[in-house]
Amino acid sequence: MVARPRLQGRLAPLSAVVVILALLPVIGAPRLWLLYLFLFFIYLALANMWNLLAGYSGLISLCPAAFVGLAGYTMAILTWFGWPYYVGIILGSIAAALFAALISVPAFRLRGIYFAIGTLVVPEILRYVFIIWVPVGKPVYGGGAGYTVKGVSDVASAQTYWLALAVAVASVVLMRYILRSKFGSGLAAIRDNDVTAAYSGINVFKLKLYSFVVAAFISGLAGTVFYVYQGYIEPASAFSVQWLIVIMLATVIGGEGTEEGPLVGSVIVVFLYFLLARYAQISLIIQGVILVVIMLAAPQGIIGFIRKARRRRSLA
Amino acid sequence: MRPLAELATPVMMGILLGGLYATIALGLSLVFGVVNEINIAHGDLVILGSYFGYVASTALGIDPILSLIIGAPLFFALGFAIQKYLLNRAFRISMDATLIIAFGISIILENTYQLIWTPLSRGLTTSYSVESFDVGTIHVPLVYLLDLVVAIVVMFCLHQFLRRTYLGTAIRAAAQDWKVAQLMGINTNRVYALTFGIATALASISGVFLGLTFPFTPVSGMSFLIIALGVIVLGGLGSIAGTFVAGIAFGLAQTVGGYFFGVAAQMLVAYTMVLVVLAVIPKGIFGR
Repeated sequence: MVARPRLQGRLAPLSAVVVILALLPVIGAPRLWLLYLFLFFIYLALANMWNLLAGYSGLISLCPAAFVGLAGYTMAILTWFGWPYYVGIILGSIAAALFAALISVPAFRLRGIYFAIGTLVVPEILRYVFIIWVPVGKPVYGGGAGYTVKGVSDVASAQTYWLALAVAVASVVLMRYILRSKFGSGLAAIRDNDVTAAYSGINVFKLKLYSFVVAAFISGLAGTVFYVYQGYIEPASAFSVQWLIVIMLATVIGGEGTEEGPLVGSVIVVFLYFLLARYAQISLIIQGVILVVIMLAAPQGIIGFIRKARRRRSLA
Repeated sequence: MRPLAELATPVMMGILLGGLYATIALGLSLVFGVVNEINIAHGDLVILGSYFGYVASTALGIDPILSLIIGAPLFFALGFAIQKYLLNRAFRISMDATLIIAFGISIILENTYQLIWTPLSRGLTTSYSVESFDVGTIHVPLVYLLDLVVAIVVMFCLHQFLRRTYLGTAIRAAAQDWKVAQLMGINTNRVYALTFGIATALASISGVFLGLTFPFTPVSGMSFLIIALGVIVLGGLGSIAGTFVAGIAFGLAQTVGGYFFGVAAQMLVAYTMVLVVLAVIPKGIFGR
């Protein structure tokens, strides 16, 4: 049996960083910083989950927007029925997880690139559903079925910041745990060759399902917290391909299939936002160029590149 | 529910519209069948074709369809370059790499259009774009008929090209087994670049007819890509006949669905049909 890296160790610096980040709103850090950090937390959680699917389970899922949007909508609609937003966050994420379980039955029949296409269609369908379906009251925003999230106007920005931090930390810890468990080894076996994995007694469907549902739940958490902050939701942006672009960019820049990849990638993506905030269109063009260049020059991302360089040095 | 007799109009429109969808999906299907990559930027290349027609007709005063005489070769060169310099390299890395690079190209194209042509909605207006004629009681816009005619012509030409020419045989050989093709002395990298070039030229053709049929914006590419993906997975990836049949099926699902459930629900019906068919036959109608 292959020795798995231990779960302990190097947790101390991580917890120190988390404590410092958590204290930032208390000691009065500039609001803009907090906003960028908030985005960083959300993207980190989403990128971690995309990495779990694409980098470790061999599921190139192109539907993170489905989980984000569905969870956000569930929460927004629940607040219209008088539920507090934090119940909405939990129930919304559970809705996203249930939805993932539901679509997994047809989706897992599709392999590799077929799976990618199948999942790309899912947010598109949901978008049309939420444009047509008006579950409660009169929609407020943007002609389609846009909703304000009720009862969040008095939520302090520090609170949403902490919520986002909690979700991000949860996603990092969860990845650490999964990658060091039998579950993680099973996923890696499926990614490398699902037929061989099945022959060695791994229940391929079950493991894929678990990682899909877990990813949907955490993505749902991140999505709902984002919409608590934003205060309104509408179909075009909730199910937008933009979510996928950001998450994919973060994961690929950092290094798909590496544990630290999404962390490094999310830092860079948010930093790019900060640098290019004034040039919306050019910013996106530059992001596209970065995506292409990184993929050609260092397909394993920054982390993969560093690892390779290190290995080469140790050999020399 | 409305009387079934009125169903003739949506059925007719669906078939004609399906022709447009099939033309859009054809390039994507060709690249998938031969190079085995999903070109996420295909929708944006189609929209580039629409903008080319737009520039030709507004700035230069050339009929958009005639402008394809210059446009299609230009697009061929563009596609050839994309595959030769970017995707052929990515190919050696992994399947995901080509997907992600194509995604990067898509982001670059979309935002470049926004910069050049602003996010406003555009359309191609010509003397014949508003004309229509009557078949019995059905009112048919002329451009819709052109969509289907072009689909049939393009499919036929592509089929003949792949069957009868030396290059077409090489392309089919590379699609079947690139290793053996290489052993037979076929430069597969070159064949891939040529295939991608042909697919991009097809994108320019479908783009002009798309512009004649619908208004378009810089971000329309993604929605038409998703339609085209729906069409090619429905028909079975890489099959020309499958693409044509599925294009018509998709168009029909959209218009007939719109007839029964309202215009707002028409795309929902079409996509749901794609997912249901995929769940039953994961490799599509004509899948291998």
